[in-house]
Amino acid sequence: MAETYQEGSGAGADFDLSQFYQIFFEEAGENLDQMEQMLLNLDLSSANDEELNGIFRCAHSIKGGSATFGFSDVAELTHQMESLLDRLRRHELQPIPQMVDVLLESADASRSLLARHQAGGQGEAVSTTSLVRRISDLAAGLVPGDAAPVVAAPPPPAPAPVAVAPAPAPKVSAPVVPGQARQLEIQIGPLDRPEQADAIKELFRDIPGLGAIRDVPGSQANTRVFAVETTSTNDDLLDLFAFHVSKEQVLIRDAAASGEAAVADADDEPVVAVDTSGGEAPYGFFNGAPGAPHGEAAAAAHAPVAQAPKAAPKASAEPKVAMQAQMESTTIRVDVKKVDQLINLVGELVITQAMLAQNSRGLDAGAYQQLLAGLADLDRNTRDLQESVMSIRMIPMSIVFSRFPRMLRDLANKLGKKVELVTLGEATELDKGLVEKITDPLTHLVRNSCDHGIEMPADRLAKGKSEHGTITLSASHQGGSIVIEVRDDGRGLSREKILSKAQERGIEVSDQMSDADVWQLIFAPGFSTADEVTDVSGRGVGMDVVKRNIAALNGSVEIDSAEGYGMKVSVRLPLTLAIMDGMSVGVGEEVYILPLSSVVESFQVNADDVSTVAQGSQLVKVRDEYMPVIALEKIFQVPRFDLNKSSNIMVVVEADGSRVALLVDELLGQHQVVVKNLESNYRKVPNVSGATILGDGTVALILDTGGLVRRARH
Amino acid sequence: MQSILAVDDSPSMRKMVSFTLTGAGYHVVEAVDGQDALEKAETHNIDLVLADQNMPRLDGIGLTRKLREHPKFKTIPILILTTESSDQMKQAGRTAGATGWLVKPFDPNRLIEVIQKVIR
Repeated sequence: MAETYQEGSGAGADFDLSQFYQIFFEEAGENLDQMEQMLLNLDLSSANDEELNGIFRCAHSIKGGSATFGFSDVAELTHQMESLLDRLRRHELQPIPQMVDVLLESADASRSLLARHQAGGQGEAVSTTSLVRRISDLAAGLVPGDAAPVVAAPPPPAPAPVAVAPAPAPKVSAPVVPGQARQLEIQIGPLDRPEQADAIKELFRDIPGLGAIRDVPGSQANTRVFAVETTSTNDDLLDLFAFHVSKEQVLIRDAAASGEAAVADADDEPVVAVDTSGGEAPYGFFNGAPGAPHGEAAAAAHAPVAQAPKAAPKASAEPKVAMQAQMESTTIRVDVKKVDQLINLVGELVITQAMLAQNSRGLDAGAYQQLLAGLADLDRNTRDLQESVMSIRMIPMSIVFSRFPRMLRDLANKLGKKVELVTLGEATELDKGLVEKITDPLTHLVRNSCDHGIEMPADRLAKGKSEHGTITLSASHQGGSIVIEVRDDGRGLSREKILSKAQERGIEVSDQMSDADVWQLIFAPGFSTADEVTDVSGRGVGMDVVKRNIAALNGSVEIDSAEGYGMKVSVRLPLTLAIMDGMSVGVGEEVYILPLSSVVESFQVNADDVSTVAQGSQLVKVRDEYMPVIALEKIFQVPRFDLNKSSNIMVVVEADGSRVALLVDELLGQHQVVVKNLESNYRKVPNVSGATILGDGTVALILDTGGLVRRARH
Repeated sequence: MQSILAVDDSPSMRKMVSFTLTGAGYHVVEAVDGQDALEKAETHNIDLVLADQNMPRLDGIGLTRKLREHPKFKTIPILILTTESSDQMKQAGRTAGATGWLVKPFDPNRLIEVIQKVIR
């Protein structure tokens, strides 16, 4: 019964819909993302039906869900969006940039409203009044700041009575229809200026309780038609309207009557509405339809197929959307905590397996043949299991990249620049934990490129470049790392500017510095060469933070630039944070793990190749290249086994583009280690990035090669 | 136990419908769009189809039309869920061979009430 419907709660009393909220929030978020993506890709001059239908469907789904679950503010806003999109997909309106803008803003507003609901209604709700008005104006064919309606060239084909019938008014906050409210259709005209009728709309906005008004696409340019829901009498309405238009220009009709009459004409088979008490029936059955309760006449006799539908079935929807729908049925949503627990357990299993492997080493292969074969299987299965489990956490870079088109569009608009974004390698997968942490630094780099890199359109043209700057984001796997590049074809870095700025800031520089070293200067805290500070960037907080954040992920940043041609920032990250390939080295009684990705080579050193320079620091000569030597025993203050330094082993490690040689006692082996965070379990220790448990149960520290390299530099 | 094929592209709506109907003692088969529903209808014993109208690939009315082409589904009740109960929509639903319609948003109790009118 209509009475059971209540504003703000689509559910009956004995059903608790809140259990579906979380699913709905995620789904709505995905729909909003998809809608945003499609809006950004929309080519206004040649928008095709599939694209418009796809965008429409997103708004439609959110509306349906939010109305069902009782989020009426979101439902109201998305309903407006849907109405505009509906007119667009019906080609009753021509898409214009203002529409994309307002739809994007509305998507943002919906997102924030949903976030508020998700947080249990905490905080201030964003106001959507002006958005709603802007959308409804656009849907009515009004362009802000331009009085001319923008109805698409051929006005909608108007098969007489149906066209003036109220467009289906999907009532969102819906089913609350006060008993005496009437659905009217009011035609105003002919008018000298169609926008005169806007005053009528404003009446409904200004007078509380008057009712609701909505534009209905009119068939004549000088006539406006509105669908009105009101409790006032016709005379009262005419009196109010008289302030703006003459009575002769107003024609009031009962919408329900005209609509039903039209249908009755079109088809004499009556629709059996079950509940006609309160306005529109909430459900109904077709007389004589198969399965209808009143049509026991088993009316299947007249095969419905025979009546070929006049309306062409909607073209099979956008392949992308279809693909997604297909994917959805084969994926499940799982709490991240469960995945993390799985990873932890696999980590423990890897340790146990390593322990068994180590303990079985001394066994006689003949006597324990079966046990050893089983252990070999265990080794292989553990590794496979570990890989499979780790891959659950992997998500494609497109998740990160997808936020940039929108950001860049807004930013470029703000700066008055023209920028195109190209993304490559979106399918490259990265650990979820890394994805979350890399987003902010990447955002910073992209903003920098747009703000400092790309020149103003006029400057670009003057330099013989194309007016549009291009920012390329790419991701690729290279060995055990993922490399993310942000490249722009802007003005590039100026060596002179950076050097003079560095001097100004008291940083020691020389003209002989290599380019790579000069570029590294911009990572110094508080360093900015921007001539003026914009609210986008240039305040000098940034590059150092970017570098620090990436270093915290065991990653590195490199810059390449040519003045006038652009610059490229490459971020290199390990594929995952949880498990890595390590090389174990012994120093005295201690075992340390070096990330295998940073190990270059190891060798036995001759005393002749080591030379001591100022302040007691040592250099080793490896194939005509000198590199600093770091004695781990000094750093960690552990006694070595052997004081006879002639049998020294050195391991060369590389980080941040520099190499150092680590002096160790022995090379123990190579294994996968499960990285345990030291910081969260103990505290941050210099030169150590984490710890792991070895096969024999002892704890080994994982060395921070980046930190060691930096130490050698100073 | 009677089986209902619940077709909706929105996971939350699907869950909600499925929860409601399961609670009312029906067996529910879920499908993510019209195309998926056609496949599921083939392989399951279905007593009633409850389909959202607006879906990718194949919408509710299109699904109804396709189902009615098949002798197996000539007479089973098909209800269309829709946010708009316009006369055009109803007309299209009737022409396609739908049994009836139900306007979204709806109350779970209302859903059960409608279903019970159609299958006993």
